[in-house]
Amino acid sequence: MLTLLRPVAWMNTWLLRTMRQLAWMALALMVVVILAQVFFRYILNNALPWPDEAARFLMLWMTAFMAPSAMRWGGFVSIDMLPRALPRVPGLLLALGFLCAALLVLIVAISQGYNHAFGFGGKFNSSSLRVPLDWIGFESVRVKLRYMYLSLFVCVVMMTSVTVEMIIRTLAQLLNPDVQLPPDDAPLGVLGAD
Amino acid sequence: MLALFLPFFLLLLLVGMPVFFALVLSPGLLLWASGQERDIALLYRNVYNGMDSFPLMALPFFVLAGELMNRGGITTRLVEFSQALMGHMRGGLAHVNILSSMLFAGLSGSAVADTSALGSTLIPAMEKNGYTRRFAAAVTAASSVIGPIIPPSGIMIIYAYVMGESVAALFLAGIVPGILVGVGLMIVVRLMADRYDLPKAERIVSPGQIISPLESWVSFVLIRINIAGLLVALSSGILSLLRSTVGIDISVGGWVVFLVFLPIAHLLMVRLRRQVSHDFRTICKKAVAPLQTPIIILGGILVGVFTPTEASAIAVAYALVIAFLVLGSIRVRDLPEILTKAALSSATVLLLVGAAVAFKTVVSLSHAPEHMAEFMLGLTSNPLVLLFLINILLFIVGMFLDAGPAIIILGPILGPIFVDLGVHPVHFAIIMSVNLTVGLATPPMGLVLFVAASVSGEKVESISRAILPFLAVEVIVIFLITYIPAISMTIPRLTGFAQ
Repeated sequence: MLTLLRPVAWMNTWLLRTMRQLAWMALALMVVVILAQVFFRYILNNALPWPDEAARFLMLWMTAFMAPSAMRWGGFVSIDMLPRALPRVPGLLLALGFLCAALLVLIVAISQGYNHAFGFGGKFNSSSLRVPLDWIGFESVRVKLRYMYLSLFVCVVMMTSVTVEMIIRTLAQLLNPDVQLPPDDAPLGVLGAD
Repeated sequence: MLALFLPFFLLLLLVGMPVFFALVLSPGLLLWASGQERDIALLYRNVYNGMDSFPLMALPFFVLAGELMNRGGITTRLVEFSQALMGHMRGGLAHVNILSSMLFAGLSGSAVADTSALGSTLIPAMEKNGYTRRFAAAVTAASSVIGPIIPPSGIMIIYAYVMGESVAALFLAGIVPGILVGVGLMIVVRLMADRYDLPKAERIVSPGQIISPLESWVSFVLIRINIAGLLVALSSGILSLLRSTVGIDISVGGWVVFLVFLPIAHLLMVRLRRQVSHDFRTICKKAVAPLQTPIIILGGILVGVFTPTEASAIAVAYALVIAFLVLGSIRVRDLPEILTKAALSSATVLLLVGAAVAFKTVVSLSHAPEHMAEFMLGLTSNPLVLLFLINILLFIVGMFLDAGPAIIILGPILGPIFVDLGVHPVHFAIIMSVNLTVGLATPPMGLVLFVAASVSGEKVESISRAILPFLAVEVIVIFLITYIPAISMTIPRLTGFAQ
């Protein structure tokens, strides 16, 4: 079981680290973009057309990049009184049941997400976002809605990968209570915005 | 068939399935079972649409502003300021704890951040001063629930978005209830101070306070602008009262009034300066810059200069300026960690909000609120009794579930019922928010109890017992807010943000 777990855990650790780096950059850019809008709207009295949509674009990707890490570290809220109260094996079996249900949801979500991003709706241009290639002498390119829709698709793909890892971890714990699991890269501290 | 999804959802939730998956699995499975597979695509798209929102962006920004303020060493300044004001009273440090929570609430809007930031400073200090550790942890946990009630508030942004209400109205409606909770807790401390002979503390912990010349000047200017602004607001209130009652109409430009009041504010400060010690004055000066955050947020929204999202971005910029330029307490290399933490806290909530919007669509399709309304009206048609029952329901839910997810789940189900019964949507939002927020400090599953336990090293069970007198007062405040709508509705109505 560990032979199967190690490469999946390594891949997830590596990918999620990269995604977390991108997520904090997206959050920083969101602040910059909204402040630019405030400056142009209230100081220069000349509102720009793109910052609102650009900030939403960044927020969607920030969520997509960060949510799989939160899931891996147990940051998804639940009422965990029953799982805590159960003895080890029934508790792990219940957790396994939840993970399998989550996998089912995520597999359906991947198929829906693919249709959403690569279907008809994704071919439309965003109302205000464009890549300003005209600054370097080319024609500017309008951003397709697909690139916004892809955020949730990427999020569910990575959450699926994390779920697979968590299923293998749970199975390994079920088979051997003293198993030494590979680290999940979790920081110390509390999650939650309440 | 579709009506079954609500009990199924509750079952999933109770056995411990993560709320996000329960929110999408239960309606999805029943849509599939009732042969409405095409609507599953709608469910997915609604999760996306739910997250794709400009007003919702205020949530990560407020989390980030709170994180920056916390890491920037602002907590210590607020505690010193509170101690200078209330430390000399009986039960001084318990009062300081509560006042610091009220001030911190204006910066962060998170009970968890409040408990961990104030707890790590105040619990050891209270223990050293002669309090038991469990009492110190209980005061910290009980007062931290003020965080999400006084604006800015993460859960109010979520409620406003999911239920289509005005964030500004909810923020304004939370001010008096938040202060009421704080005052209620202080009354309990006062009563306990007499009974258990709780100690007094020094007003000034470290004599010989110093402040940098730049910060001293910034505080000098800001405090005068604040007082002049307050006087302008008071005068405009008096003028509008005169206009509506006596019919006297005095039209004076706002800036002219402000410029008149500025020297008056200066004279007031000069007079006050003579009556306090150098240390007291310095501590107050050091608190001025951090305490501008709620003024910028609420002032900007009230005057109509910013939207709540823009105000939240301004709050981040202000926190950065204070931390980098005034306090010099954060370095550029600290920023990735702060941003990562804020993004991590926000992402789970944003995903949950997306799922809630999808869930809400199926709730409407299933006519669940109508069935629920029929059931509840079958119990009694008296809105006051229904509000009592709903408070008990929310209180029980709050014991087991965090405030944000509980609002996401219950808002779409309960909100429409009470609005139909004539309860103002903003009033109902405050009842829900305050009740579920108090649930954060309620045994057995209150999140802040666990945070207080980890910060203090005390057992959750002993904090749970020590917190009971404080919870009793918070329950009384919940009922006051429920049955006296004016407590929450006066400020939004006076400022025109609610009808």
